[in-house]
Amino acid sequence: MESFKEAVDISLFWEYRSLLLGGLAFNFYTWISALVLVHVMGFSMCMMRLSRVGACRAVGTAYAELFRNTPEYILLTWVHFVLPLLLSVLLQTRLNFPPFLSAVLALGLAYSGYMVETYRSGIQAVPKGHIEAGRALGMSSIDITFRIVLPQAIRNVLPEMLNQMVSLFKATTLVSLIAVPDLLYNVVIVTQEEMRPLPLYTWAAIVYCVIIFTASTLVRWLTERWRSRGWA
Amino acid sequence: METLAAGTARRDASPVPSDKGLAKAAEDAVVLRVSDVHKAFGDLKVLNGISFDLRRGDVMSVIGASGSGKSTLLRCINQLDPPTAGEIYLNGVPFGFRVDASGKRTPDSLSNINRLRQDVGMVFQQFNLWPHMSVLRNITEAPVRVRKMAKAEARELAEQLLAKVNLLDKRDEYPARLSGGQQQRVAIARALAMNPKVMMFDEATSSLDPELTGEVLDVMRGLGEEGMTMLVVTHEMGFAREASNRVMFIHEGRVEEDGPPEQVFDNPKSERCRAFLSKSYR
Repeated sequence: MESFKEAVDISLFWEYRSLLLGGLAFNFYTWISALVLVHVMGFSMCMMRLSRVGACRAVGTAYAELFRNTPEYILLTWVHFVLPLLLSVLLQTRLNFPPFLSAVLALGLAYSGYMVETYRSGIQAVPKGHIEAGRALGMSSIDITFRIVLPQAIRNVLPEMLNQMVSLFKATTLVSLIAVPDLLYNVVIVTQEEMRPLPLYTWAAIVYCVIIFTASTLVRWLTERWRSRGWA
Repeated sequence: METLAAGTARRDASPVPSDKGLAKAAEDAVVLRVSDVHKAFGDLKVLNGISFDLRRGDVMSVIGASGSGKSTLLRCINQLDPPTAGEIYLNGVPFGFRVDASGKRTPDSLSNINRLRQDVGMVFQQFNLWPHMSVLRNITEAPVRVRKMAKAEARELAEQLLAKVNLLDKRDEYPARLSGGQQQRVAIARALAMNPKVMMFDEATSSLDPELTGEVLDVMRGLGEEGMTMLVVTHEMGFAREASNRVMFIHEGRVEEDGPPEQVFDNPKSERCRAFLSKSYR
């Protein structure tokens, strides 16, 4: 009972609020930057995966499989500690990645693997006839891709896409492991100072949970609205 | 060997005026020439040497059993499925191939193919309207993107065409909110917006409820009366007989009959055509 009271006591968390919630900003920076990478790589690798050229298809498939099947944590440590070493040897210069860069790179790559598959299922769900109608009218492949296929593909998988984006936010809590000063990292710092881990970790959990719950509720609400309008 | 012979025989049998001047005039009026077209998907031979000329203002119905190659023929003409052999000319211009200096035939570039496709309207069995665009945008999309028409001009054209197919009040609706017959009429307007030289209809009424086929057939009939050159793959024998001036019966990828509707329907030379017609008129 005593420890429960201690755990939900917000006073310590509140005392360090500017430091702790300032850390939350790093979760958002990492999230937004990784999202850019997720979509750029996810889309371009998806185009490779659906290419008519066998070699491109192989690259796209290998990319998706590699990053979908590697745990984010492993990827994070590998990108932060091993990749700079490899590059140092290769380029004959000492190289270090700032933690933020490693975090964005690792999470971006990991989630772009999923995004390849999401784009693919959205694109493949577009009826072939819609593409043929464009071809029959003499439309260019670029116009067909960007004006007919993609708008429909994204609608097809928008709920799935948004859910993945929420998952990516969840994954940003891993970045404290390589010393990106996010909320959790600052909790560790304050804990070392104050020696009162219970309320700090509990409130960090509550803050994350509220943010993620709000985001997924929003996604669900939007999805239902779209469904009732006949798209997504 | 046999297919080649059949193809040649068929071409010779097509009506060519004897008078030289007349022949020249007829030649000028040929909008679409299909010459000994073959199409195979792997081992499956679908078209085995189809030849015919379509002259300006011709409305030709293509009839035949399912799987006889009617739809494949249309898809070969506009290069959605390029033919494995044979030649297609649109207004005398090779469609889908070019001949280099040494006389060798090579597939044409996609941009050239796209240029010719603009002149061949295609209406599909499944309508294939783009569901994320309003009716109006479905129609203006190709004129604006492909023909580089100004948006206002394209809009005006689309409204004219919608009025023509009796759907002006639906211009801002999305396709999902229209009936099948309405969707197909929009699809016809979409094809017409490119001002095509030929309109091809691939079983345009086959996926419609019987009470909706009439409104689509009326639009098609009207187009034919206005002088549009049309190639109509259809199971509607009434349309083929009354609205077209030529009927072609295809069997196993070969032309078995090609002539005016009275001849093909009332006096078919081919036994297979007779059998097909007796089954089609219940």
